[in-house]
Amino acid sequence: MASTNVRGGGMTVAVGGQTEDGEDYYSDNKSTSSSYSSSNYSDDLEPEWLDDIQKNGELFYLELSEGEEEAVLAQATSSQGVSTNHVRFSEKEAEIITEQKKQRCGSLAKGEPALKRLARILRRKRRPSQRRGGKDGGKDISSLTSAPASILKNQAGQRQGVMVQQQQLKEVCVYLNPKRLGGSSLPLSDRGGLLEALLGVVHHPSWSRGQGDSAAARREERLIVHGLVPNSPAIKCGQILIGDVLVAVDDVDVTTENIERVLSCIPGPTQVRLTLETVGPVEGISGDSGDAASVQRLKTTPPVSQLVRLLWGEDTAELQMSIGHIPHIVMYLSLKLDSSSPQEEQEILYQYPVSEASSQLKAVRGIFLTLCDMLENFTGGQIISSSLLLGKHLVHVGYWKESNNLLVIGLPAERVPLLYLQTVVGGVVRTLKVMYGSLDSAFCKADHAPRLDHFFCLFFQQLIQPSRLTDSSSAPPTDISGTLFLDGLPAVRWLTLPPEIKMEVDTVLSDFESSDFGEMSEDFFGLRRLYVILGSCLFYKAYLIANHLPKEDLLDVCLYCQHYCLLPLASEQRVGQLVIWREVFPQHRAQQRAPGYSQPHGRHFLLIVGLRHFMQCVLLEAGGCASPALGSPGPDCVYVDQVKATLLQLEVLEAGIEERLNAPPTPCLSCADWFLPAATARDRLDGLASSSPVLSKLAGAVKGSSSGSRGRSLFGEKARRSSPQRSLSDSGSEGQADTGTGSGSSMAPALSPHSTPDSARKLGGRRDSLGSGGSDGSGGSGGVFKIPRMKHPNPFYLGTLKKILTERETEEMYNNMKLTSGAENTLFHYVMMETVQGIFIAPTHREVAQLSGSIHPQLIRNFHHCCLSIRAAFQQSLPPRGRRGTDRPQGSRGLGPVKEHGVLFQCKPENWTDQRKPAPTMTYWVIGRMLLEPVPQEFYVCFHDSVAEVPVEMAFRLSFGLAL
Amino acid sequence: MFGGGQGVLLSSCETERGGKVVWRVFQDSVMLIAVNGGQGGGGGSSRGEELSLQRLLENVWSSMVLVLGQDELASVRNVERLKRDLRSCFSLIDQLLEEKQEGIMGNLTHCADCLVPPNPTLLQEAVENFTQAADSEFGCLMVHGRIAVATEKWWRLAPQEVVLLSALMRSLSASGSASCDYPVFLPHGSPTVAHRLLRFQLLPGADVCVLCGPTPSLLRAETTLVGRFWLPLADTLRDCLAVGERCLPGSVSLRPDVLALLLINRETRRSVSCVRASSDSSVPSRARCWELLKLFYIFSTTRYFSQEETLCVSPEEKPQRSSCEDFAPGFSHQPLQCYLVTEECKCYTLQTPQHQLFLLTPLSVPTFALRTVATHTLSAITAATGF
Repeated sequence: MASTNVRGGGMTVAVGGQTEDGEDYYSDNKSTSSSYSSSNYSDDLEPEWLDDIQKNGELFYLELSEGEEEAVLAQATSSQGVSTNHVRFSEKEAEIITEQKKQRCGSLAKGEPALKRLARILRRKRRPSQRRGGKDGGKDISSLTSAPASILKNQAGQRQGVMVQQQQLKEVCVYLNPKRLGGSSLPLSDRGGLLEALLGVVHHPSWSRGQGDSAAARREERLIVHGLVPNSPAIKCGQILIGDVLVAVDDVDVTTENIERVLSCIPGPTQVRLTLETVGPVEGISGDSGDAASVQRLKTTPPVSQLVRLLWGEDTAELQMSIGHIPHIVMYLSLKLDSSSPQEEQEILYQYPVSEASSQLKAVRGIFLTLCDMLENFTGGQIISSSLLLGKHLVHVGYWKESNNLLVIGLPAERVPLLYLQTVVGGVVRTLKVMYGSLDSAFCKADHAPRLDHFFCLFFQQLIQPSRLTDSSSAPPTDISGTLFLDGLPAVRWLTLPPEIKMEVDTVLSDFESSDFGEMSEDFFGLRRLYVILGSCLFYKAYLIANHLPKEDLLDVCLYCQHYCLLPLASEQRVGQLVIWREVFPQHRAQQRAPGYSQPHGRHFLLIVGLRHFMQCVLLEAGGCASPALGSPGPDCVYVDQVKATLLQLEVLEAGIEERLNAPPTPCLSCADWFLPAATARDRLDGLASSSPVLSKLAGAVKGSSSGSRGRSLFGEKARRSSPQRSLSDSGSEGQADTGTGSGSSMAPALSPHSTPDSARKLGGRRDSLGSGGSDGSGGSGGVFKIPRMKHPNPFYLGTLKKILTERETEEMYNNMKLTSGAENTLFHYVMMETVQGIFIAPTHREVAQLSGSIHPQLIRNFHHCCLSIRAAFQQSLPPRGRRGTDRPQGSRGLGPVKEHGVLFQCKPENWTDQRKPAPTMTYWVIGRMLLEPVPQEFYVCFHDSVAEVPVEMAFRLSFGLAL
Repeated sequence: MFGGGQGVLLSSCETERGGKVVWRVFQDSVMLIAVNGGQGGGGGSSRGEELSLQRLLENVWSSMVLVLGQDELASVRNVERLKRDLRSCFSLIDQLLEEKQEGIMGNLTHCADCLVPPNPTLLQEAVENFTQAADSEFGCLMVHGRIAVATEKWWRLAPQEVVLLSALMRSLSASGSASCDYPVFLPHGSPTVAHRLLRFQLLPGADVCVLCGPTPSLLRAETTLVGRFWLPLADTLRDCLAVGERCLPGSVSLRPDVLALLLINRETRRSVSCVRASSDSSVPSRARCWELLKLFYIFSTTRYFSQEETLCVSPEEKPQRSSCEDFAPGFSHQPLQCYLVTEECKCYTLQTPQHQLFLLTPLSVPTFALRTVATHTLSAITAATGF
């Protein structure tokens, strides 16, 4: 039974070491484990990220809290002081730790601003009221004030049932990288050796003997897993449990005798197959469901997503290897060659990655250099791209020349169409400039290389295999065009909030930005400010909800966030704590040389703090009216704490924001699948309902809802269907899904023929009458029809050409008119970009997810792909910005400025098996329009073909009523 | 050129101001490089330029084959001699480069430019009889540099050959001679064996030609055949010439708000195109209309309607061309129509299984009416001419 216990607690130990054995182990090994965790740092008044500050003052600290359950677990184990999910972002862990400690002492000694020290002392007193405990901050914040859940107890309870166990062999593949050992100063011979250092399996020879098991004597030489090292390959694979016996590595039998030798034979990063003997419960005995469930959970929930691991700077080799065959490269080449001392590859200032395909590209770097030089002489313009064939792959290469150096980025054509390559390259360049000031300073410093490696690893991973990064199975198949398009927009996704919430958010942010920190502020002590807060912006689950930054700064900040995937991170995972601090070089502040006024010449710092789904980015200025920054200052605790306090203050609004996110989409959207003619789905639903009790309930719900809403019963015969609403969304959309799957492969799920899922929402707001004859594409009157309040009428209803009415009248009118006109809601998707404010509005992910269906995701992908083309057409008409040589020849060649562009698409359901009838088709428009007056805006909409033309005009003019 | 040793094949480059360089190696012996200086500066249009440069390279290569034959080009023994020989195709290449004559789209579309005569049956009969009498199966009548009628076999030639022969005819008739006998190699049909192209000017602007073997002699054909078959048809030919650059007979009534159109029959690989003369200053000039039509064709074909397979692309050369075709395959649904509103005009294109129609309309036409205009135009033309 001893082994049962160990195994039962296996998961707990894996995370934190909570069993008796584990406890022994950890107390035993405190010294060893300290290199893996920094949380057992004795001074609990220091913030936990303090150790992670790099030499140059930068900080990237990310700690996750993974769901409530995991958080409980973490809470339970946090007393052990082992924070699993915590890794610092650096190449050589141990080395930097020691240096940092030294450095911190040093900086303390040599004039750390007095305020900081003072603040720290003050904080010591205030702490209990202001924040709850530095060390457990992240966990406490996740509102887990209850006593630590006793997982052990529960498990012990479940474990009372008699268990029959069975020895089983299992095979586990783990990825090992001996190179990562290189930087570790941990003496290998000390304990554990390679087994522990490389694989992360802790084995104690003495324990086996001590267990007194009858089998122990026999097993003396066997490698029993006594513990797992946090963040090691062994723990990350999630399948090696404590108590397992390691039998073989890559089919080589191993014992305590030879394991070190076997492991030392692994030359480089590779995957090895471990054979383990495990104790598994015999299937069919249900006495141990809890255990099974926990094992299952351990298996199904990967410890952390690839993205987070990548952000932490681990495991880049594995991810990189998986795209090694796809040619992609980034190089920074010097155009000034010193021919007197010919040296191999001296012109390469920076290069990433090192793979087979990329080395082929590297070998032809002469081409890039020659082309850059030749074409400039030839055509008088800088080269911006070239296409080449590498075996079967078509590769587009983008260029960016800065002074005497040339940045070359090669990307596979199937990922990035040539049309959009320039935008992608421009984005990278701008991000690098924001981070480092200029390309030269980014690439020419040797110590930036590891960070750039990490930067470009993220860059390529996002472009080439985005699916690996978001390994949540629920996520829709990644939409590379969508990513390209939305990320390429010079704007951030905005979430409109109800005015009360918006006001509150703004107030809280303004309060923070006033830097009035009370007795924490510098003023209180009569000191000069360390930083001036230039502004901040607030994200909730990847949506921007408030912005107090100038547009260009917002874009800079957003580029950084996008590049480091911070936005998806905050929406998918619950961020326990995220603190980022770095010096940045906001682009327009660096460039602006307006006569008469000059920006104060200061240094700028970006502080990003994330708590759960909130993330606040603050831009700080040192110098100017604040005290100038010396050296490379690290994050200041006061400021970080103030941002945290702000975020905590905002958490009360979370419910309101969630409500907004859950609200039915405004303007309401339709699902493409509803428009494909099929057998009357309602009939089918009813037919199915008679046979299946579950479905009958669903059908009832659907009926009930449709007759329940105002005026809805009138449509009873016409099989109208309400679009998923909040109250109904679960059952309703499941019902659709069931119908879809139930109808088999022959037809896509279509709920009603030619009909119209309108939602029975309140159509608030006022309708403006619209003069007819809006004809040409100039659409200069966008602002005229602004809707006074935040209600969003759906502009696609024909029956809205009415004078201003009161709300109630409108509602009645709406119902009546719908009856007579039979208007259908035909809007599928939209993106609206406010160029001036740098934001765009699109249906939220949740709104899109609600419109499940098989065609709809395809449609959205297609929409985004088309938008790439439309936007490229718009771009060509704008004078190039940010590029050299902006004096464009005036001759109006080419197609000239494009104002509006639309494409009509036809789609057919996939797997149309019916030979007799042709597949039903549905046609829809994707239209983009660019307005320059009164405010520059870009719209992209996607709607069904059947919509009358006048409402289309109206849609553009109304700007969706999404006034800000 | 570059990087061949490293297994890298460079195909094109683009510069900031729309400059573009395109490479292409033909038959492992001749490399053609096309450079576009980007004199226009319309940044985004350079993508389109790539398609036209690619087409230009193909056309130049084919015209070299047409004049010299493939053997001579594929195995070059004496470069100097080849250079000298190549002079003979300069006039043709110049014509491809300069595009002197307005309204010739075939070089770009690889669809033969056609002119729909008012009474095609008479002419068709005449061409067939004339061709037969000249011991040939390939014959055609060209009016204003466009094919008015041709024999069945003529249409069976590869579309690119038809386009090139038309170009050759234009350059020959521009030389002013009344008739000529010109040896041609067909780039796809018979790249190594020459045929004779006999051309006779019937009226200024109307030429007839046959592709034949060793007989008949030019003299005999000119003296006996031309008069016999074509004299009775002089009036019909005049009617035909009167159609002019509208390319469509008067029976086709175009809506007044169509500035220019290009209609392609995707099955027969023929096209008609026309620009309506207009004195209105608010609409683009004639030349600009032709240019816009070309640009719009390039715009929509490179992005949405993947181009028809042209025969001149062998499978191994296929990837070379794909750099300008990386976008269209990305669509999960099929594009059918598209429109563009620019500062000068509105463009609309519509694709059916059989036709592609490209339209320019003035800005005064409401956007929502474009689709109706396009469908009406298409049905009007097809109904009246059966094109």
